[in-house]
Amino acid sequence: MSGYFGSYLVVAILLGTGLAIVAGALLVNRLLRPHRPTPEKLLTYECGVDPVGEGWAQSQVRYYVFTYLYVVFAVDAVFLFPWATVFAAPGFGVTTLVEMFVFLIFIALGILYAWRKRVLTWT
Amino acid sequence: MIQSIDYVAIGAPLALASAAGLVLLLDVFLPRRTPGALGLVALAGVLVAGGLVAAQAAGGGERRTFCVPASGAGPGDGCSFVVDGFTLVLSGLVLGAGVVVVLLSMTELAERRIPPGEWYFLLLCALTGAVLLPAARDLATLVVALELVSLPVFALTALKRYDGRASEAALKLFLVSVVSTAVMLFGVSLLYGLTGTLHLDRLSAALSAVPGASGVVAVAVVLVLAGFAFKVAAVPFHFWAGDVYQGAPVPVAALLSVVSKAAGFAGLILILTTGLREQAALWGPVIAVVSALTMTAGNVLALRQRAALRLLAWSSVAQSGYILAPLAVVGGNAFAASVAYLVIYAAMNLGAFAVVMPVSRTAARNELDDYRGLASRRPVAAVALAFFLVCLAGLPPGLAGLFAKVVVFRQIVEGGLGWLAVVMAVNTVIGLYYYISWTARLFAPAPSGPGRVPAAPMPVSASVAVGLAVLVTLAFSVAPQLVLSASG
Repeated sequence: MSGYFGSYLVVAILLGTGLAIVAGALLVNRLLRPHRPTPEKLLTYECGVDPVGEGWAQSQVRYYVFTYLYVVFAVDAVFLFPWATVFAAPGFGVTTLVEMFVFLIFIALGILYAWRKRVLTWT
Repeated sequence: MIQSIDYVAIGAPLALASAAGLVLLLDVFLPRRTPGALGLVALAGVLVAGGLVAAQAAGGGERRTFCVPASGAGPGDGCSFVVDGFTLVLSGLVLGAGVVVVLLSMTELAERRIPPGEWYFLLLCALTGAVLLPAARDLATLVVALELVSLPVFALTALKRYDGRASEAALKLFLVSVVSTAVMLFGVSLLYGLTGTLHLDRLSAALSAVPGASGVVAVAVVLVLAGFAFKVAAVPFHFWAGDVYQGAPVPVAALLSVVSKAAGFAGLILILTTGLREQAALWGPVIAVVSALTMTAGNVLALRQRAALRLLAWSSVAQSGYILAPLAVVGGNAFAASVAYLVIYAAMNLGAFAVVMPVSRTAARNELDDYRGLASRRPVAAVALAFFLVCLAGLPPGLAGLFAKVVVFRQIVEGGLGWLAVVMAVNTVIGLYYYISWTARLFAPAPSGPGRVPAAPMPVSASVAVGLAVLVTLAFSVAPQLVLSASG
């Protein structure tokens, strides 16, 4: 196990274990389930959507706004994670907590705006 | 550890940002869309910020905040936000320009075709960035503030959605600005990688201490310069100016030509005179050549323009060249001449935009020939415009422009850049041609064609904007020491 290539053995074992888990799960599935195919069931799908049409797919423009709002909160989270690791540490305390909520209020302005402009309703 | 924040120091940007948030909330919660009320709130926000800046100027002294305690990183106390004389002059410029732009916006939004809440929110955001920028003393704050100035302007340009030219202008501005930011970030990351510090006051010494890296330093400096050259529309990155000024709504063109430009120059001056002080031998000649090319290109392109806004666009490119010229003088306090020129330029250029604004509402194409006979239709506006044009040209009745040019000439001659002074003198003469031919059109008899629209009365907000600009420019003409002592 020692030596330069020894550490690669761990990788190989991990790979083998991973393959075994996936293959085992599929195998158990195959053994337990009834098998009654219909054309719909045999269709390939992706995230629940039929792979119809060409590679150049159009999607609802309204998704764009939701993506936008998602990005707002993703950026939010980037700042929240490092903050969460330190705010309880000695020397930070209430000021740090309040500061983060001030930041969150500014971010929340965005969602408030989106809500009032009726972006959040689909129809 | 928690940094203590000096709230007095960051008062002005804080007031603007709060006003921006307030405008956005009022827009979505007020029952009826009221452009007038939102405009007044925005105006109040700018005035409060202006009051805070004035109070700080009256109080004197220097305020620093967001400081990192001195460590082994080098000299300087490593403060990210410093309010000193330079900061106050440029913040005052930006806020004064902000008042005029908000007043012009009221006229623009009176047609009720542009959503007012979004407009004022974006405008106040851009002003926040422009006030933040002269106070920034580290590279990260500088870049973030510069982006805060740039990003809202794309959206402001595109808010005139019913106009295809506005969308085109917004797209051009967006692409140019994003590319320039990317280029500048390359330079900034090289500087940071070489020195390990972002603070401008530590950067210069740290750069000198890096052994055998002069090639990399040169590349970094040129990349940073290129990024700023886009923002101030200096050659060879000036092509966007004409189309964008013409396509954008007039208040946004005014914002671009004054606030955005002032912000770009503030950043440039800070980086060159603080961060790269000891690398002056490297950037001095580059700036001199860019300055000469910029003023020449701007003036030559302006000669052939028929549309008023395009002419103002190329004239503002040429003026950028004049503002750049003193920066090429290595060492000393030459950049004060740039600041003085910038302040005077802001007043007279805003005035020109303030008169062009109401004319653009009656003449859709806004060509120079639409100004024929303006003196008989709107005598006051015509005289005001003539005054601003003469100021921009630097002729005697408009002493402000003359003083500004004299200050710049003196600095570059004293700095030993005689050839640049000659180029600038030739350019001033070229500039006379188009400014004076426009002025002459104002007083020419109006063409008596059919379909000539009778002049509508000037909107009140536009009149106030013109009046403010006239007052400030007159004050600078009578007492130029106001600017010269403040910026020196």
